[in-house]
Amino acid sequence: MGEAEDAPPRQKDPKLETLREILFSHYRQRIAELEAELDALERRVTDEDALIAMIAPVMGEAIRRKIRDAREEMIEALYPIIGQVVVRAVSEAIRDLVRTIDAQSRIALNPGTLLRRLRARLGGVSGGEMVLRESLPFHVAQVFLIHRETGLLLWHLSQDPAAAHDSDLISGMLTAIRDFVQDAFGQGEEGDLDEIQYGERRILIETAQRAYLAVVVEGIEPPGFRAEMRERIIQVDHTYEETLRHYDGDPAPLAPVGESLRALLKSARQPELSSAQKRLLAGSFITVFVCLLGMCLAAGWVWRAVRTTPTPTAVVLAPTSTPEPTLTPTLLPTPSATALPTATSRPTATTSPTPRPSPTVTATSSPTPIPTPTPAPVLGVMTGNVWLRLEPSADASRLGVILERGEPVEILAVWDNWCWVRWAPEVQSEVRGWVPVEWVGVTGAIPARIVTPTAGP
Amino acid sequence: MPVKLSKKVCLLGDFAVGKTSLVRRFVHDLFDDKYITTIGVKVSRKTVVVPSASDVVELTMMLWDLAGCAEFDQVRASYLRGTAGAVLVCDVTRPETLDGLRSYVDDLLGVSGDAQFVVVANKIDLIEHQQIAPADVEAVVERWDVPFFLTSAKTGEEVQRLFRHLGRLLLFRG
Repeated sequence: MGEAEDAPPRQKDPKLETLREILFSHYRQRIAELEAELDALERRVTDEDALIAMIAPVMGEAIRRKIRDAREEMIEALYPIIGQVVVRAVSEAIRDLVRTIDAQSRIALNPGTLLRRLRARLGGVSGGEMVLRESLPFHVAQVFLIHRETGLLLWHLSQDPAAAHDSDLISGMLTAIRDFVQDAFGQGEEGDLDEIQYGERRILIETAQRAYLAVVVEGIEPPGFRAEMRERIIQVDHTYEETLRHYDGDPAPLAPVGESLRALLKSARQPELSSAQKRLLAGSFITVFVCLLGMCLAAGWVWRAVRTTPTPTAVVLAPTSTPEPTLTPTLLPTPSATALPTATSRPTATTSPTPRPSPTVTATSSPTPIPTPTPAPVLGVMTGNVWLRLEPSADASRLGVILERGEPVEILAVWDNWCWVRWAPEVQSEVRGWVPVEWVGVTGAIPARIVTPTAGP
Repeated sequence: MPVKLSKKVCLLGDFAVGKTSLVRRFVHDLFDDKYITTIGVKVSRKTVVVPSASDVVELTMMLWDLAGCAEFDQVRASYLRGTAGAVLVCDVTRPETLDGLRSYVDDLLGVSGDAQFVVVANKIDLIEHQQIAPADVEAVVERWDVPFFLTSAKTGEEVQRLFRHLGRLLLFRG
């Protein structure tokens, strides 16, 4: 033992070393490889992103298998989450339905309805949607995009530029309030503050995993507004997942979200018409106006044609009223006038007090022995569409015939402003009656022989 | 044009150590202090300009002034979430407030392990009532290897320097 301890250290034998190298080199190489693999594995485990990338496919497949093999178990596990989402979606849908019904019930017929429908058609929306939009006053005042964990303001939009100054403080306090409510009332359950109301002003909140959207509104939001908010925040959350996960306080990379969020402000405004739509709308209005004007003019013309100035009720027959006895036989150009022995025997002329008998009447009561040549008939043309009346008065009964413009008539007599005319549309039929003289056109002067005295009966 | 960044900073410390006074005099306020007693926090803003190697950074610190009372202990953890920095405040006239900082640091690092913080011994203007010496503060903060400041919210002493230093910590160590 003592010798062995005192013996000098043995020199390395080169051969032994060579042998050792031959025997163990393989293991050394293998150890080096394993160390390298271990380092790589450590790096992957400590790097969060690499770890997610590594296990995500495996987890996805594992979940799929679990759902396939143990469906009931998975449903029970997921129910607290999915059930809450479903309840929330259904509640929101019912609220939207109630709002729609409420709006429809408030719709009343008014002069603006037609205009609203026209605008709706031009704007590419249904009339109901337009009415709904107008019947529910709604205004988006501000939009806050806030980092969920830190409460830092990521983006802010406002109708009032002055509101931007303290928007970061508001976003911080809003986040604090959300945290407080969650801690105070959440009772350990997952959930978020959806809405804060103060008077007419409300803050609608939609939350994603790393950011949330707070929209300050006045009035009742239209159906689908919440869904649009949710879509926007989910889109932002997905698009900028990396930035939001390691948010360093620099909102510059999130600048593109401004345009996306601006749509929320626009969606609350009245849909504006394009210039082409405005031109079309103006053209429609002008057309409607011209049509209404034409209809008014036509109605006025018809009214004037039908209604004329009132005249005395008495009607005088030409033969009996002629002052000149000698001319009496010739005053009545029609055979019926000359065939009557007395003037009073004409029934059509005695609706009112019987015309005064005059000496001439008796003189003409006897047939004229000397035949005189029948004068040429006085012809006229109707210058308007006029009712043919029984007597020379606007109040007199109509004969059921309208003499249309351009119809030729024979003027039998003229009394005051009325003409007694004969209208023979066919050879064997004729109608006689009174029309206003202003609607009868003649080429020359009306012969005096057919003009009755103004004295009348 | 300077780079603009925002960071969340919490003020922690026992009741009446002067956290709100530090905030009230030197930062931009919008909300009433009553929020501290109602929901346990009030948010204010302090902007400092910090020169960096290549540019100037305009750093906006969103200061969450947390209530020091025990009834908000539970919600404090929620308020600390996502904080990048903190100001831990004690009162030089009350030694127990210095000891109490340990639990606040534990809370802070338990929620935000990467958070930077500084310790502030406030009310140094009350010289005759002072019960904590600078060496006492130094002995406490030694374990965390963080800077400390002796301030007076009343006179404003060291307050601006405190925020500028915290700003640098947030930018270069955060």
